[in-house]
Parts: sequence; C-alpha cells; structure tokens
Amino acid sequence: MKRIELVRSGSGGCVPAAGAARLGLFFTLSLLLGGCATFSETFSPVEQKLAAQQPEHALQLLEKRRYPRRDEVLFLLNKGMLLRMARGYEASNQAFEAAKQRINELYGASITEQAASFLINDGTRSFVGAEFEQVLLHLYMALNYLEMRQLDQARVEALQVDIRLREIAEHVPESVYTEDAFARYLTGMIYEERGEWSDAMIAYRKAYQAYTKYRDRFGTDIPVFLKYDLLRLSERMGLTQELARYKREFAISQWQDVTSLRRQGELIFMLHNGLAPIKREQSAMAVNPASGRLIRVSLPYYQPRQQPVVRARLIVGGDHVQTQVAEDITGIAIKSLEAKMPAITARAVARAVLKEGIAREAGEEHVVAGLMVNLINVMTERADTRSWATLPGNIHFARLPLPPGNYAVKVELLGSGDAVLATRELSNITIRAGEKSYYSYHWIPSRL
Amino acid sequence: MRGYEQKSRLFRVISLALILGVFQAGCATSVTRMDAGEVKDLSGAWNDTDSRLVSEEMIQDVLSRSWLQQYVRAQRKQPTVIVGEIRNLSHEHINVNTFVADMERALINSGKVEFVASRTERQDVRDEREDQDLHAREDTRKAMGQEIGADFMLKGTINTIVDPSGTKQVRYYQVNLTLISMADNRKVWVGQKEIKKLVKRSKLRF
Repeated sequence: MKRIELVRSGSGGCVPAAGAARLGLFFTLSLLLGGCATFSETFSPVEQKLAAQQPEHALQLLEKRRYPRRDEVLFLLNKGMLLRMARGYEASNQAFEAAKQRINELYGASITEQAASFLINDGTRSFVGAEFEQVLLHLYMALNYLEMRQLDQARVEALQVDIRLREIAEHVPESVYTEDAFARYLTGMIYEERGEWSDAMIAYRKAYQAYTKYRDRFGTDIPVFLKYDLLRLSERMGLTQELARYKREFAISQWQDVTSLRRQGELIFMLHNGLAPIKREQSAMAVNPASGRLIRVSLPYYQPRQQPVVRARLIVGGDHVQTQVAEDITGIAIKSLEAKMPAITARAVARAVLKEGIAREAGEEHVVAGLMVNLINVMTERADTRSWATLPGNIHFARLPLPPGNYAVKVELLGSGDAVLATRELSNITIRAGEKSYYSYHWIPSRL
Repeated sequence: MRGYEQKSRLFRVISLALILGVFQAGCATSVTRMDAGEVKDLSGAWNDTDSRLVSEEMIQDVLSRSWLQQYVRAQRKQPTVIVGEIRNLSHEHINVNTFVADMERALINSGKVEFVASRTERQDVRDEREDQDLHAREDTRKAMGQEIGADFMLKGTINTIVDPSGTKQVRYYQVNLTLISMADNRKVWVGQKEIKKLVKRSKLRF
C-alpha cells in the first residue's frame, strides 16, 4: 500500500515537467535511433562493393570495420567468404577454421550474455550462426579444399558435416532443418572420387531423402545428376532391389557405369547465385497508457534479395548442360528463422516488461532518472539482425563427364524466359581421368 | 519498502555484472611457458600429447619386432626406409608430420635403420644437385643417379569414430602404420595405436 502512494505522490508533483521532457524524449529518440544502426544496416557498404564485383574491396572494407568480440564468428564467416570470392582458398579456410573453433568454444549458454539479452537486446549475445549456417561453413570449407585439389582434407570436412548434423538433429525438431541435402551430396561425391563406394552410396541416399524433403518445403527439385549417381552406385554395389526401385521411380533406363565414368573426368560446376536474404528490423513503439512511458519491441525478419538468374547453361565444345538448384539458401534461412520466431518474440516481450519495471523503479527514485532509463531502454531495444550475409541466395550446380584434357567452358547465365543475362568464358579447366574438377563461380547482381 | 530495496539492490547487482562483463573482455594477452611433455587438453581435439603417445608406442614397437633382425641376417646390411603417404581419414585436420618426424628421428638415432628422403623432400635435393653440376667445383660435385633405393615404405592411416550425444562425445582414434617391402609388397610390420577420449562440454559458460 505504501508503495502505491509513493508512486502517486511522485508522479503527481511533476506532471508538467515530465510532459515536456517526454516530448523532448520523443524527438531525441527519433534522432538517436537513426544514428544507432543495426548490424545489417552497417553492412551495406560491403554489399555495394560486392554488387560492383569487387570482392577484394569488400574485404578491405570489412577488415577496416571494428567489431565486438561477440561478433567474431560473423566477421570470420564473412571474411572467409569474401576471400573465397577473390579465389584465396587457403586464406579463406584459415578464416573458416578460426570461425569453427570459436563456435565450438561458444558451445553452451553464457550466463552473463543471457542476462544481458534479457536486459538490453538479443544482439548482446555471441553470434554462433543458425544451424544451417554452421553446416554451410563445413560445406564451403570442403569446397575450398576441393578447389585446391586436397581431397583428403575435404573428406575431413565431410565427416565433420555428419557429426554436426547429428548434433543438430538432437536438439532441433525434424520439421525444420536437420538434414542438408547439398552437404550430403557433396560428401557423396568426395567418397565416390576416393573409391569409397559404400560411404558414397550412403551419402547419396541421405541426400536423396533430404532432397525429397526440400521438394516439399522449398520447392527444390531432386537434381537429375543425383538420380544418375544413385543408379550408377547401386548397380556397382550389386543392390539389385534398390536399383530396380530407382529405375522405376526415376524412369531412367540408361546411365554411364562406374568403370566408364572413371576413364573420364568430371567437371563439377557450381554457381553461387546472388546473396542470401538479409535480416532487417521491424519494431513497434507505443506509449504505455498506464504509465505514460514508451515501450518498444523490435523483431528481426528476413528480406529476400533480387535473384535475376534462374539457371546457368554450360557449353563445352558441342555439349551443353543446364544447372539445377542444389541448395535454396533463401528458403532455408527464412524457414529456420520462422521456426525461431516464437522464442525470439517471447524474449522481446519479457524484455519489454522487465525494462518497463526498471524504468518505473528509476522513476520512483527521481523523475529524470526514470526518463533517462526509459530513453536508454527504448534505444537499446534493437532486433538482432546478424546473419551470414555474404552467403549466396542459392547454389546451382551441374556435373559434366568429359574425356581428360584442357577445356574452355562457356557459361551463360539465364534469367526468366531463358534470356541470357551474362556470359563468361572459363578457360584452362583441366580434366583428369577418374577425378572430379570443381569449379565455383560467384555471381552477384549489380542491383541487390 | 523492503521489496523495493531488494529490487534496487538486484538492479545494482545486475549493473555490476554487466560492467564486469565489459571489463573482462578487455584483458591483455598472457603467455605461460610449458614443458613440451606436459599434458594439457583444451578442446578434446587431436593435440601434441596424442602425437607423442603415438610416436612413443610406434617407435618402441617397430624396433623390437623381428622384421629388423630377419632383414639384417638375410641381407647383411641395414634396411633403408622411405616415408610414404600417411592418410588422414579422421574427422579432424591432423598434422601427421609430427609423429612421423618423431619416428624418423628415433629410428635413425637407433642406428638400426636408415631413411631416404621422401617424395616431397627429394625434389629439392635433386634441384640442388642439378645446380651443383653447373656451379660447384668438380671435386665437390655430386653425381646424378647415385641415390639409394629404399627397401621398405612406411605407410599409414588415421581413422576416427566419433559418438556424440548431448554435451558428451566419445572420440576414438586409431593410427595404423605399415612397413611394406618394396621388393615384393610384403607387409613386414604393422603398428597400431588406439586413443580414446571422453569429451564433456559444459552447458553453461560465463
């Protein structure tokens, strides 16, 4: 009872002053909020350099920016990706490896960070990436090794993908993201190149299952290349029943067998298309009618980017092949954030209640203190918009068996209605018998 | 009033924790020298201790087995060994050079086995010899075609099995090394070292 009286007398005595101050507060807030940007807003200079096809300059910009320790993983992921775009595969893997180690160190919830996230905002927690970003980290490391022709090192990453996915499956409901089709597919290709047929078969099977789920969830078709792989390997391993089932399911009757494929080499072309969606902030600000204080709740959402290229066509001599979608990163990102939204929203609401309580306490001591605390509370209420923004929007790929030799490959990027948006010549691609040559091409549209 | 005081104390404690958190992040680098033989496991990944355990076991095993005496008795000379490929089939990026170098050193120092330069090392030596042909004084020049062909090749693999569950992980490493006779593909020695670790990760950190 005593407390209520205290509140009343306190606020009753200072109404005019508080009213004027609150008006001032509103103006100050709108000014300050404009100056205090979320992560994704500060990242746009880097994106612009990427859109201008200058990954080296983007990297310089990224390295110049100061970042807090809690964003180290994010910095390393972006650094690794930019280095990769500039074809610095070894340096890229050093950055990725450092990111991986930091993620492992950050296993487990931090007590201080949890407290801070309840008091300030979600951005005060250390960034470890969403589950799909952690898997893609291994995938890109494997690709870096493959492009440096270090098959054994790529195999290490293939094994780590498996462990990571097993860990994810333990704490994420299956409906969201527990399997990564392209990561499984790539591990299958690594095992197959090394002649580890049974491991390759298992990986292809898992990729097939995962692509079936991708089809329902993101509309990604099962790549036709995978169908041929399943047929070829089930034949090689003498799995007659499985082979018959695949033949029936895929309606394919002819394929190249293992021996004939190994006499040839293979070009694995990957188009890393555009940029992944970026997290933006949406917030609601209102005046609590009971107390007259401002309340703000900010939540993140994914904003998809322009994806003008729908597929690529590879032309080698007289042959041509069209790429297919291997991984729809945009779809996966949006779906996995959707699944996390209830928890994020609950935290934001709990935070708003707590902040309101603290502002009230401070206001009881002194009216100006109350206003200041309210101001700080509202200002610090920002959505966590950190994400691996240099990931591509989706990954396309094509497999093309070729006799050993040196090739010049013409790549046509096709927009809607198969209009050619850009062409590029890749010269001096070496194909060796029994080996797969991986080639990645990052393409970022000039308008994001 | 008591409830109010308690709350404001709570508020102070939280602010203090936050301030501490900020300061804690700003600590300077510290370096402590350690003995190379000291066991220190940080992340549970393959480290120097594992490498040393493997080399100790392998050296002791390879020198005590019968292949060495049999070869010396039959050929009346010491065997020459070349280091072939040690394949890393594990789930970690393991540097195999550390224990291979340990083994090489111990075997050479034992005086019972000789090593020739491996495929990666010898190109450098050949380049230098070619260079000598052109630039070195005649009496110090080394002729081409005088290399010693190895009698045995040391090959191997590292395999792992990882069983993760929740915060726990069992990691099993198996290192296999084989000496293969160059003349007839006979495996004269197979060494094996197993290492098993239970890695527990904390659910909470500061």
